[in-house]
Amino acid sequence: MAGVPIRRARAYNFLAYVTLVLISIFCLLPFVWMALASLDTNAQLFLKWPDAWTFDNYIRVFATENGVRWFANSLFTVLSATILVIIISGLGGYALSRSKAWWKQPFLYAILLIRVLPSTALLVPLYKILLTFNNGIGALVRPVAGENYRTIMHVFGFIDGYLGLIVVLATGQLPLALWIMKVFFDGVPKDYEEAAILDGATLVQRIRRVLIPLALPGLAAAGLFSFMSAWGDFLLPLILLSSPELQTLPIGLFRAFLRINEIDYGLLAAIATIYLIPAVIAFSFARRFLVQTFSGGVKG
Amino acid sequence: MALDAYQKRKERQLLKLLLPALIPLLVLTIYPALYAVYLSMTNEALTGVAAARPRFVGAANYFRLFSDTRFWNSLFVTFVFVAGSAIIGQFVLGFISAMALRRKVVGSSIFGAAILLPNAAPEVVAGFMWISMLAGGDHATLSKIMIALGLPWADWLQTFPLFMVTMVNTWRGIGTAMILLTAGLSAVPSEVYEAARMDGANPRQMFFRITLPLMAPTIFLYMLISTVSTISVFGLVYALTRGGPGNATEVISVYIYNQSFTTFQLGYGAAGAVVALLISLTLGIGYVRSLKVSV
Repeated sequence: MAGVPIRRARAYNFLAYVTLVLISIFCLLPFVWMALASLDTNAQLFLKWPDAWTFDNYIRVFATENGVRWFANSLFTVLSATILVIIISGLGGYALSRSKAWWKQPFLYAILLIRVLPSTALLVPLYKILLTFNNGIGALVRPVAGENYRTIMHVFGFIDGYLGLIVVLATGQLPLALWIMKVFFDGVPKDYEEAAILDGATLVQRIRRVLIPLALPGLAAAGLFSFMSAWGDFLLPLILLSSPELQTLPIGLFRAFLRINEIDYGLLAAIATIYLIPAVIAFSFARRFLVQTFSGGVKG
Repeated sequence: MALDAYQKRKERQLLKLLLPALIPLLVLTIYPALYAVYLSMTNEALTGVAAARPRFVGAANYFRLFSDTRFWNSLFVTFVFVAGSAIIGQFVLGFISAMALRRKVVGSSIFGAAILLPNAAPEVVAGFMWISMLAGGDHATLSKIMIALGLPWADWLQTFPLFMVTMVNTWRGIGTAMILLTAGLSAVPSEVYEAARMDGANPRQMFFRITLPLMAPTIFLYMLISTVSTISVFGLVYALTRGGPGNATEVISVYIYNQSFTTFQLGYGAAGAVVALLISLTLGIGYVRSLKVSV
């Protein structure tokens, strides 16, 4: 009698196993192609075993100047945006957690709603606002810069400049980061701060000596999600950057595979793999916080 | 009274800490959203007569929008894309994966990692990899697999563009669905299953009478989040098809982009953007309510 449920359980286990294998193949196959193509001397559009193994594609990414530039631009803008988000959301999340003021609840609801706004829908007005800022900065820079005008604008410009991309990328990550930090600080007892206040510490001292050390795990989570989302963003660099020397990895990759006739699959696969690796590393650390981000934030 | 003054001073300090977050959010998200509403009532453009002197045109853009078959097409494409990938594809495959992984099969952590990997891929990388799978007629990887299995092949992105784009988006989201639904599944108390087994319920009955009803709140929350985030998908579709062939895969975000940045009709594009904003906001309010956040 006991044999039937066991046999049935075995059948279900087998079914589960087959299903998981099939879904995993579906999920992994594109990655297998990319990894093999990036190591193939004669990579093709379709999945195949390499003719001969080589690291030449990767070496060429860094030997041809563009690949290095794209990587450096991506890393610089995304890391700057992430650091900005960590600082701003750390301060703001603390304020949102400790405040009892009337604006707290409307603000928290508002940033949840901001999260759902599609960024394409905000793009045109955003572009016009950035253009206004850009003209303002241009008017300030032009008289003093002389012939360095373009170089300076590539750094401090809001259109076709690093600063604009960094600020907009950071703003896009703020809603989630603020929620993560708010929920995190909700879980940090007030006793530590109160002890510091009794010892006569000022707000700045309290933040530096007490709150930052306590908040590190929350800041790490907020930073990871900001990094992943900003790293994967395609729309903003597509719209905001036009100079070749400012191009980032997603745009470089996109433009390169549009030239379908002269396409070098090995090189492209190597660039795509290099672009993918930081995202996968960040994701593997962020995975354990994933569920909480759906329901609001990360518990302390 | 002294305590009151202290409390007030403290609140002022906290507001100052929030300002660095408040200012960019106001200037770069709230203001653009309101500005989009204004733009949608002008004939603003980057080229032509209207570029020099934009005029207020009232609801004219909206009348034009609602009689534009390409706009209705984009709403329909978005609906199929969201329903097919977020509501059906990701949910069904994610749920199956979550249920299968609960059976503690050998190597479950490897399966979990494999299913989550597409989540980590940036949109453009996903587009690039899937071009290899789907583009190039009989040279595409999928065609080669079909040929090897003795099945017919096709020029996938030309023949079934919307289905293929929906499938690729499904691929990207199975992991998220799996993670969220696993959390929901583990919240169902095992005593309930024990009791049902005592009463002689079979696995099918247990799934439909226990698992599904108890999971309903999680499933609802998942559907809202994935719907909202799928409406704003842009890079994946743009990298794969740029909305084509024809307008077969022109989801609303690609439609807005094309109207604004390839035909340069900013006012008209903004009208489409406002419709997209309203749809997302409506769903977003549902999301906020269903979270029942205590703040």
